[in-house]
Amino acid sequence: MAEGGDVEWELSKENIQPLRRGRDISALHQALSLQQDGFSSTINQQRQAFESELRMYDGDDPLDVWDRYIKWTEQTIPQGGKESNLSTLLEQVVTRFTDEKKYHNDPRYVDLCIKFAENCPEPLDIYRYMQAQGIGVTQASLYIAWSEEYENQGNCRKADLVYQEGFKKCAEPHDKLLQFHKALQARVSRQVMMDVEEDDSDDEPKQKERISLADLRHRGKKKAIAPIIRTGPAIRSISGGLQPRSAPVLGNATNSRLVVFDENKAESAGPSEPIFESWSAPPTARAKENERRPEKWCDVKMPQKSKFGHTVMAPPPVKPTFQPFVEESDQPPTMTPCKINPAVNTVLSTRKLCREETPLKRLQEHNQQQKEAESGKLQEQSMYCKELLLSGATEFCFEELRAERFFKRMAQESQEVRGHEGQASTSDAN
Amino acid sequence: MTGSNEYKLNQGPEDSISAVKFSPSTAQFLLVSSWDCTVRLFDVGGNTMRMKYQHTAPVLDCAFYDPTHSWSGGLDAQLKTHDLNTDQDTIVGTHDAPIRCVEYCPEVNVMVTGSWDRSVRLWDPRTPCNAGTFTQPEKVYTLSVAGDRLIVGTAGRRVLVWDLRNMGYVQQRRESSLKYQTRSIRAFPNKQGYVLSSIEGRVAVEYLDPSQEVQKKKYAFKCHRLKEEGIEHVYPVNAISFHSVHNTFATGGSDGFVNIWDPFNKKRLCQFHRYPTSIASLAFNNDGTMLAIASSYTYEKGDISHPEGAIFIRQVTDAETKPK
Repeated sequence: MAEGGDVEWELSKENIQPLRRGRDISALHQALSLQQDGFSSTINQQRQAFESELRMYDGDDPLDVWDRYIKWTEQTIPQGGKESNLSTLLEQVVTRFTDEKKYHNDPRYVDLCIKFAENCPEPLDIYRYMQAQGIGVTQASLYIAWSEEYENQGNCRKADLVYQEGFKKCAEPHDKLLQFHKALQARVSRQVMMDVEEDDSDDEPKQKERISLADLRHRGKKKAIAPIIRTGPAIRSISGGLQPRSAPVLGNATNSRLVVFDENKAESAGPSEPIFESWSAPPTARAKENERRPEKWCDVKMPQKSKFGHTVMAPPPVKPTFQPFVEESDQPPTMTPCKINPAVNTVLSTRKLCREETPLKRLQEHNQQQKEAESGKLQEQSMYCKELLLSGATEFCFEELRAERFFKRMAQESQEVRGHEGQASTSDAN
Repeated sequence: MTGSNEYKLNQGPEDSISAVKFSPSTAQFLLVSSWDCTVRLFDVGGNTMRMKYQHTAPVLDCAFYDPTHSWSGGLDAQLKTHDLNTDQDTIVGTHDAPIRCVEYCPEVNVMVTGSWDRSVRLWDPRTPCNAGTFTQPEKVYTLSVAGDRLIVGTAGRRVLVWDLRNMGYVQQRRESSLKYQTRSIRAFPNKQGYVLSSIEGRVAVEYLDPSQEVQKKKYAFKCHRLKEEGIEHVYPVNAISFHSVHNTFATGGSDGFVNIWDPFNKKRLCQFHRYPTSIASLAFNNDGTMLAIASSYTYEKGDISHPEGAIFIRQVTDAETKPK
């Protein structure tokens, strides 16, 4: 491993997205060193190669290219994000093969679907969609991912049900499923135990609970355990670790190594209970100005003089002569308030991705369109090879596709020529 | 099929035509680049081919610098300039990937190339040498010059407006107002805006001034669609060319039709007869009396059998090109 790579890895840990299967360290070093010189042409070239392979592939396993491309993307662009195009790619691959029955229980496709789900705002919807479409129903990985999602949301019962469903469908590999199910059960039971303990402690009065910022230790030669009976969550805190607890009750400072400053008892040093002085009398008001006895304000009327010199009680409400202030947002601005900065001007970008449009919706729309196309209900037909142009993360134009064909043919021809030359030279040697 | 106001050029390219460009000063000369790795110069009046020079790979675009010099680039990623008087080649420079477009900006006196290597490069035509490389966010598909501004259309439906006098930063980053891939962008001769065509039968008229009042005027419309048996067939719009005098423009689609539009009254002025195959490129001559129409399969449906391509020269009248 290169020394430089090690340094980069140390410096950019926060820019590396964790992967379920971990990362190849050499690939990571390479990726990081490539990114040193910017989002470089090497990456762009490799990506372009994958993109053209996606389109030019004519074998019987098109998923293979996609699988390699996505794995390459994960490894080469460790920070993920929009630049990596990962979510676009995943959506594309899932959409593209969603009707291909032969891939439905292919572990590679199921893994890609799970990655897609994990990138979505609502993974559970995707898992349900997969189940409805029969994608990955015999794959243990689907049930594991699905269950973990439920568990993360705190729904352990559903998480368990998902495993039951997996067992019912005889998902493979069975061992893995069983192992993960057991792990879930263990976690759930531990959780239950902890919940029970918490419930117990709730019954006890809070005052008895003592704070310990550090474990209690014996002092001097005495090897006695700290002479306090601890109950409830206090026991757990011995094992260390940060745990959320109720508001600390301030007790003996001597118990803890760390002295916490407390303004209430700053002066009363020593191991004594804080002394609360009872107020004998309210604090005296000093030099109060404009003192006025409280009275009912709604009864007070301002004396007003009329034109004729005598007092009137309530003048009729007059229409204000000034323009009342109205919130700007209530009315459309009549003119542009300030100079538009063309860089942030929204006028120039008209088409925004609709918020409500989730990946799942798009997926379902695609299915709908496919069905409509089959039944001949389609109103419009694009007169070009749309699939080829738009698959992958970046689009291609006709000329690029044709250029790929041209380069491929050139490569073949030059190989043939070399082959002929090789034959010629061997025959010469003979 | 060809009437008295239209004729086919002899000795046309042997493979698909990628671009046709008229000489900036006379109506006599037409430059044609092709997938057969050649750039040809035609004498339109005499209907003869005057000259032909080779690239090592298919040529995707060509442009006149002045009446005696042509510039061209293609899949070999080499930018060539050719002296049309002495018939001599010079390789000016290279891109890292095929060169998709070549244009000349007379205001700044600079040649501009756009490539699939995600860059635009400027070239000083006098020396000739590279005068700067400017990275674009995506592969460049089309570009057009409006006065001293450069409008670049890339993959991912992005449009970037650069100031050729100050290439330090992008003047405007835009998104195409059309939903699908950008096929072509051409600037208005009056330099106010540009027309952008997409791969799915639609054309947008846009303005460069970013103020809200001006931006309100922009619009888009459907075209190059044919209804057959209740299904609407939507064709790519491959080519745009402006009439330099009237600011009207012609569009050509893969449906084989050429339409002329009046962008001010939002009207179609005329439609010509259907050409044998896709319209790959269009060019009005300098005074707008002739239109060169390259009808040549653009491979929009892949490598399938297709009618042979040809270049038609059509005399156009004011009735066909003037706003009413």
